Amino acid sequence: MSSEPATLLQGTLDLLILKSLAVGEMHGLGISRRIEQITGGTFIVKPGSLFPALHRMEDEGWISSFWGDSENNRRAKYYRLTKPGRRQLDAETKRWCRISLAIARVLEAS
Amino acid sequence: MPLFAKARSFLRNLFSTPRVEADLDAEVRAHLDLLVDENIRAGMSPTEAKRAARLALGGAEQVKEQVRDQRLGHWLHSILSDARYAFRQLRKNPAFTAVAVLTLALGMGANTAIFSVVDAVLLRHLPYHDPDRLVMVWENNSEHPDPYNTVAPPNFLDWQARSSVFSGMAYLCDQRDNLTGGGDPEEVVVQDVSANFFSVLGVEPFLGSGFTPQNDQKDRDNVVVLSFGLWQRRFAGDRNIIGKSILLNGTSQTVIGVAPQNFRWLVKDGSLTGGRAQIWTPFVFPPSYREHKDVGRFLTVVARLKPDATFEQAQSQMKSIASQLEVEYPDADGHWGVNVVPLPQQVAGELRPALLVLLGAVVFVLLIACANLSGLLLARAASREREIAVRAAIGASPWRIARQLLVESMLLALIGGAAGVVLAVWGTNGLLAASPSNLLDLPSAPLNLRVLTFSIIATFVAGLLFGFLPSYLSAHSHISQTLREAGRGTSSARRTAVIRNAFVIAQLSLALVLLAGSGLLIRSFIRLVAVDPGFLPNNLLTFKVSLPRTSYGTDPLRLEFFQQLLAKIAATPGVRSVTMESVPPFSGLGSATAVHLLGRPATSLADLPVANVRVVGSDYFSTMGIPLRSGRFFNQQELREERHVTIVNQAFVDAYLQGVEPLGQKAAIYMKSLAESEIQPSEIIGVVGDVHQMGLDSAPDPTVYWPHPELVMSGMTILVRTSGDPQALLPAIRSELHQLDAELPLAGVATMDQLLADSISRSRFTMLLLAIFAAFALLLAAVGIYGLVAYSVAQRTQELGVRVAMGAQTGDILRLVLKQGARLILFGAALGLLAALALSRVMASLLFSVRAIDPLTMAAVPIFLALVALLACYIPARRATKVDPLVALRYE
Repeated sequence: MSSEPATLLQGTLDLLILKSLAVGEMHGLGISRRIEQITGGTFIVKPGSLFPALHRMEDEGWISSFWGDSENNRRAKYYRLTKPGRRQLDAETKRWCRISLAIARVLEAS
Repeated sequence: MPLFAKARSFLRNLFSTPRVEADLDAEVRAHLDLLVDENIRAGMSPTEAKRAARLALGGAEQVKEQVRDQRLGHWLHSILSDARYAFRQLRKNPAFTAVAVLTLALGMGANTAIFSVVDAVLLRHLPYHDPDRLVMVWENNSEHPDPYNTVAPPNFLDWQARSSVFSGMAYLCDQRDNLTGGGDPEEVVVQDVSANFFSVLGVEPFLGSGFTPQNDQKDRDNVVVLSFGLWQRRFAGDRNIIGKSILLNGTSQTVIGVAPQNFRWLVKDGSLTGGRAQIWTPFVFPPSYREHKDVGRFLTVVARLKPDATFEQAQSQMKSIASQLEVEYPDADGHWGVNVVPLPQQVAGELRPALLVLLGAVVFVLLIACANLSGLLLARAASREREIAVRAAIGASPWRIARQLLVESMLLALIGGAAGVVLAVWGTNGLLAASPSNLLDLPSAPLNLRVLTFSIIATFVAGLLFGFLPSYLSAHSHISQTLREAGRGTSSARRTAVIRNAFVIAQLSLALVLLAGSGLLIRSFIRLVAVDPGFLPNNLLTFKVSLPRTSYGTDPLRLEFFQQLLAKIAATPGVRSVTMESVPPFSGLGSATAVHLLGRPATSLADLPVANVRVVGSDYFSTMGIPLRSGRFFNQQELREERHVTIVNQAFVDAYLQGVEPLGQKAAIYMKSLAESEIQPSEIIGVVGDVHQMGLDSAPDPTVYWPHPELVMSGMTILVRTSGDPQALLPAIRSELHQLDAELPLAGVATMDQLLADSISRSRFTMLLLAIFAAFALLLAAVGIYGLVAYSVAQRTQELGVRVAMGAQTGDILRLVLKQGARLILFGAALGLLAALALSRVMASLLFSVRAIDPLTMAAVPIFLALVALLACYIPARRATKVDPLVALRYE
C-alpha cells in the first residue's frame, strides 16, 4: 500500500465507481481493487468509504445490486450500472474533463 | 426513473429495516471473507489472513454505521430509533421521568396560567375604541388621602367649558333601581350618563341608537339603553324591543338601544353600587348645578384626548383649570385639585400589587423548576457517562451521540411541555373560577401564547443546557479514561457535583423567599380574621327593599311601609329580631357628609369634619350586637317621628370630641341641605362601639346614626337576626313582603357571614395562591436536595462500606451524610433570608398589621425550610447506614 494515498476530491469517488462498473458487474472488493489497479495505487478506497458510497448511489438509482457467486464460489453482493447510472457517468465524465482542462490551463499559464 | 427509485429506497430503508440490515451485515461479512481469501492466496496463514483482513476492513460496526449514515431517509430513521430508545430509557427510570415531567409541567403550566391572567387584567384590550386615548379625571383633596374622588357637577361643567385637550368629556354615576312589569320585579344597576357617554367611549349600540344631544334636555331624557345581558335574559333577545317601554322605579321609559355584548364600564372607583350596569339612562343636570354651591361630588368622569393632544398636556391644563376654580370658588373648591389618570392604568391599578406579587412568585417557581430539572439531568448525565463512553467505543460518531442525547432531552421536554399546556389551560380557567369576583372581573382569559412560548423555550433551554451538554462533553472527550474509572466518581462527575450543589442552594434560597412571602400573608390573614368587626355577623340575613317614588311619594308612606314590614318579619317564627340600615357593613360606599359641631367656629364647608351618615331602624344596635358606650339608644318616639337626635360612634368621639363630654352636644349634619340656616341640629344622645364598615382591613370611620324619621330613605337594607339558618327563612320573609306589596323586589340577598367572607376574599385568595406556590417550591427544593444526597450516597457506597467495615457506627454514617446536606441547607437558608429581607418590602401594601420584615416569620420560615430539607436528606442517609460492607467491598 502506498504510504501517502491521495485524498479523493469531492465527487471523484462516485466517478471512479461508476467508471469501474461501466466495464461490467462487480462486487465491492472487485471495485476497490480495480480502482487501485487503474490508478496505479494512487487511490485506495477503504471499505469505510466504499460501502457508504455504494449504498448512497444505489439509493440514488444509479446502480443496482444482486447476490451472486464470486470467482472462487463465495456469495458476494454484486453491483451493476443502471440506465440513470450511465447518464450520470456521462455527466460526471464531462464535468471532470472540464475541470481537469481548466486546471491544466491554469498550470500552463505560468 | 431516479425519482421513483429514490422514493422506493427511502421507503425500503424506513420500513424494511431488518431486511436491509441483514443484507448489509451479509455484505460486510462477504467482503471480509473475500479479503481473507485474497490474503491466503497471497500466502498468509489463515489466522494471519483473518487478522489482516479485519485490519483492512477497519471495524465492521463502524463501516455499517457509516453506510447507515449515507442511506436515504436515514435521519428520519435514526431519529425515530433514537426516540424509541429514549422512550425506553425514560420508562426504565419512572421516578426520574415523573419528577422531570412534573417539574417541567409545573414550571410551564403555572407560569403560563398566571401570566395569562395577569396579562388579561393588566394589559387586556378594554372594550372601547382606542382605549389608550381615554383618561379618567378625578378630583382630589389635599387634606384627604383618596386620589380618586368623584367630581362635583359644576366643576365638570367648567372643565368642559375651559379645557381644549379633549374631544369629549362624559360623566356617569350609578344607582340601583327597581325594574317592574313583565316578570318578577328586580333591582338593577342603572348608570346615569351624559348623552355623549357612548360616543366618547367610541361604542356603537348593538341595536337601535345611543343617546343624542337632545337627550341632554329635560323631558327628552326618559329613554334607556339596555345591556346585552338584560336584553337577552329579561326580554328574550326581542329584536323589536326598540320603541317599547319599560317601568323603572314605576316610571315609563322608552328603550332606544341595546349595548354590544362585551360592553361594560369597568372602573370600580367612584361606583356606589360596585356592580355592572344593566341599564343606561341620560342624566340631565338641573339648572342649580351651574351655580358653584357644594351640591356634592358624585360624578365619575371619563374623557377622550384630542388626536393631537398628549396626556401630559391634558394633565397640566386640567391642573391649571382646577387651581383657577379653587381661587374663584374657595367655599366649594378649597383644597380641591384634579387628578388625570390614563384609563388602562386606572383599571389595572386596583389589582397591580397582588398580581405583581403572584407574578414574582411564579417566576421564582419557574426558576426553581429549571434548577431542579438541571440538577436531575446533570446527575443522570454523570451516571450515564459510562454508557455513552461504551457507545462511542463501539462506533457511534460524536454527532450520533449528541443526537441521541438531544432527542432524549427533547422527548422529555415534549412530554413535560404537553403536560404543561394542559396544566396551563386548566390553571387559567381554575384561577378565574376560584378568584373572587372583586379580584378578577373577567369572564375568561385567553391562554397567552406568547407567554406559553416563552415558558416552553425557557424550560427547553434549561433542559438542553444541562441535560445534553454535560453528558456530551464529558463522555466524548476521554472515552478510555471514563471506561477505566468504571463508574467510580469520575473527574467530570466531581465537576458536575459542584454545579449541582449550586443548583440546590439556589433552589433552597428561592423556596425560602416564597415561604417567607406566604408566611407574611398567612400571618396577615390571621390578624385580619381576628379583627372584631364591631358587631355579631353570624345568623344575620340581609336584603334590600327599595320603594318606587310613584307609589311611595311621601315620607309618611315610606315610614309606614317599613314599620309594617319590620313588624311582620319580627312576627315570623325563627326570627329573633329585625332591623334595617341605609347601608350595612361590607357593602360598599355609603353617604358621608360634613358635620358642624355647634359651639365650634364656623368654617367653610370644605374644612368641616366629615362623618358617615347611617340611617337605622328600631332595635338596630341590639340586633347587630353593637355595644353602647354611653348615653342611650333611640326610643320609640324618636323612631316614629323626627326628634333631631343622633347617636355617634367611638371613632367620631375620638376624632372630633376629644376631652369633651359627647352627650348633649349638638351637631349640624349637612345631609338634607347645605345651608346651615336650614339645618335643624341633632343632639348626640349616645355613643356606640365602632363597626368596620368598609372591611376588616380599614379603620372605622367617624359615623353618625340617625333614626329613620330624621332622613326618610326609600331604599333600606333589612337585617334579620335568626335563631337557625338564615337562608331557610327567606321564603317566609319574601311572602310577608309580597303581602304588603307584590311589586317590590327582594334584592341583594346575602348573609352577613357571606358579606364578611367576600370582604376578605381577596386577601384569602392571594394568600392561598402564594401558599400553594410556596408549597410547590418547598417540594421541588426538597426533591432537589434529596436527589443530590441520594446520588452521592450511591456514588460513595464503597467508601461507606469501608467505613462500616472499619467500625463506623450508624450514627457516624448518618452524621457524615447529613453534614453534606446541612452545609447546603445552611448556605441556601442564609442566602434566601437575605433575599427575603430585601424583597418582602414589595409586599408591604398587601399586608395587614404585619410589618414586611416580621421577626417571627423571618425566624420561623428558615427553621421550617431547614427541617423539611433535613428530612429529605435523612431518607438517603438512612439508606447509607444500611450499606452492607461485604456487598459494598465486593464492587472493588
